[in-house]
Amino acid sequence: MAGFSELIKNFDKTRDYVRDFFIYGCKVRSDFDRKSVRTYGDEKRRVESWMGDYMRYDDSVRGRSVSISVDSGHIPENPLYNAYYSKSFTDNDIKLHFLLTDILQDGKSRTLRELNDTLNSEYEQLFDDQTVRNKLREYVDEGMIIAEKQGKTLCYSLSSDTADDFINSFRGLDDALKFFSETQHFGIIGNSILKMRRLKNDLFFIKHNYIIHTLEDILIPDILSAMDEKRCVCFRTFSAKRLKEGDLSGTENNVIPMQILVSVQTGRRYLAAYIPGLKRFSAFRLDYMKTVKKGDICENYDAVRAKFSRNISHCFGVSFGMRKETGTVTPMKITFFADEEKEGYIIERLEREKRCCSVEKTGEHLYTLTADVFDPNELMHWAKTFIGRIARIEGGTDTVRQRFYNDVSRMQKMYGGDEDEHIQ
Amino acid sequence: MNIFSEIYGTYFRIAAKLLGNKVTDEKTVRETVKHEGFRDSVLFLPQKLIPGGEDWGLFRRGENNTLCRITKKAPVKVLTKLQKMWLKAKLSDPRIRLFMDDETLRALDKRLSDTEPLYRREQFRFIDRFSDSDDFYDEKYIKNFRIVLEAVKNRKIVYIEFVSGHGKRMSGKFALLKMEYSPKNDKFRVYCYLLRNDRIRSSGIINIGRITNIIDTGRFFRTPVSMEEYFSGRKCSSPAVIKVTTERNGVERFMLEFASYEKHTVRDLETGQYTVKLWYDTQDETEMLIRLLSFGPVIEIMGPQQLREQAKRRIERQAELLEKYREEE
Repeated sequence: MAGFSELIKNFDKTRDYVRDFFIYGCKVRSDFDRKSVRTYGDEKRRVESWMGDYMRYDDSVRGRSVSISVDSGHIPENPLYNAYYSKSFTDNDIKLHFLLTDILQDGKSRTLRELNDTLNSEYEQLFDDQTVRNKLREYVDEGMIIAEKQGKTLCYSLSSDTADDFINSFRGLDDALKFFSETQHFGIIGNSILKMRRLKNDLFFIKHNYIIHTLEDILIPDILSAMDEKRCVCFRTFSAKRLKEGDLSGTENNVIPMQILVSVQTGRRYLAAYIPGLKRFSAFRLDYMKTVKKGDICENYDAVRAKFSRNISHCFGVSFGMRKETGTVTPMKITFFADEEKEGYIIERLEREKRCCSVEKTGEHLYTLTADVFDPNELMHWAKTFIGRIARIEGGTDTVRQRFYNDVSRMQKMYGGDEDEHIQ
Repeated sequence: MNIFSEIYGTYFRIAAKLLGNKVTDEKTVRETVKHEGFRDSVLFLPQKLIPGGEDWGLFRRGENNTLCRITKKAPVKVLTKLQKMWLKAKLSDPRIRLFMDDETLRALDKRLSDTEPLYRREQFRFIDRFSDSDDFYDEKYIKNFRIVLEAVKNRKIVYIEFVSGHGKRMSGKFALLKMEYSPKNDKFRVYCYLLRNDRIRSSGIINIGRITNIIDTGRFFRTPVSMEEYFSGRKCSSPAVIKVTTERNGVERFMLEFASYEKHTVRDLETGQYTVKLWYDTQDETEMLIRLLSFGPVIEIMGPQQLREQAKRRIERQAELLEKYREEE
């Protein structure tokens, strides 16, 4: 494996591999037919290196399958953060990082010339002005170095905001960092602060923890800043289905970003956006998305946002249905059976999980949920968590209702009485 | 400004640690890389730190084969703009009040007065979070949370009165081990051992929101605790075995939704179906069962028998209910 590096330049490529290993849980080399054997080997080696004990290997006739098996509710730190800590760099990058911060630690500000002279005279390091200037500019953008004009000359000084000072000055911040570093949003950033102080989360575990989300965090800041600037965004989407069909080019999308939608139950996150070409709202999965670029200012952003606020209140999940934003919604009523005396917990469940729907008592032991939502399919996926409780379904579409009846019938056969031979 | 930057990277962090001392040696370099690096870093990083032709030049050789840093002081850990923007965003999160008092929060806000937040809370929407989240503004809740956190940090024994999930009033002395947060429930809980005469009687989980009274006994629980042991004691004796079909994009939907579970998957080459073993906390069995059933006939619970039986009973009851209310119409 000559030429292998632990560090990576391209985060997108790594995202694909980690996702496949993590989600599908059983991939062999031949499944990655889109990539060369060498690429597969390198990516696998990196993932193994980051995930350590969480890797699992199983031998089959097709070859050795590799997967990631993590009980993510019982880990103190998201191991996928390692992907972010693997960015490649040049020798000059690391040298200038430590040398410039070493020179500027005394709190004094210096010109480029003074800095380069010091590098030469005190550290015996020769850099051309442009290299040092670029690094200083980069660190000014990062907020580590402050650039101020003194007369006509730009002077550089080090920011006085250090991790040590913050954590020592603000009581409780260390514990807050431990918590927020493992939760949304952008836990990775909190983790990077903890690591500066050599601290580890030793207090919290996160249940219902979708650690894979961190890989999408790389896209979100650009989307958020486009929202703030009321701009369009352009990105490509690569759905698993299309990739399987050999479509590697993806689909280009030009949209007006509205909100990031987070599902804490299905493990998916989406960008809700308006598609001007189709004059409708839609939700794009973040895990299928790549290369986000900010586009032009959207003149009617506020009007679209106002429309979005009205529309989102009719989404049970993320689907805006197939009609235009001015279209009608499909009212649906699902009646649940719950004995008030003995099964109050069912009524409590309905209340806390009903989202944009309403629940009312409609008969003895009967509670009806009324849903004025765009996509009844989303509602039914949730309603099926109440299997054994559903007395009636009204409204929606014939297809949705029929599918539910068929599903119950198929499940009856699947788990049916004497024919049940599958029990292990 | 991007979190995917070498300035946060593992190699920079290891270099910073080693540059913290004026003098080091090869052994320390290799050990630090081994402990702080990725699994294979020992193969790549030491030669970049130790002078020898390939190195970055951060150290030079000193007397007795020591390594002397070329910098004058230990590296300073300057917060980046991105990190400060993240901190600023967290100031608008009500949960930060659990950790920091109002005065400290005001001081932090003032310190970050020139910093824009990385995000605004309204830019995100949790679409399926339960509505009965903990009340992070409630003073009593905050007080209880802090006592629990302190007890977890110092392994203190506390006396707790609380209302169980079934509405029963409970009380006892507990050793508190770790805290748990669920983004789905937006609730905190604490893993604990119930103690009788200072000995572990049973393991449990208490919702912070259900605590009615908590008193620090001033005593410490000194028995060594292994979280692995705690979790394994609560784990199912045999995993749920699920057959997942390709219908309705079942495999991807299932794998993603159950990604947070410890699992083992095997794919049938002929059918494309997957057989997935899922390990779960016995206390969460019902939650897992109803989520499995929501996949309908796309998946099948193959075992263990008692789990399959529970699914079967629910489905039979469902068919009966539909029949009954259809007749009434």
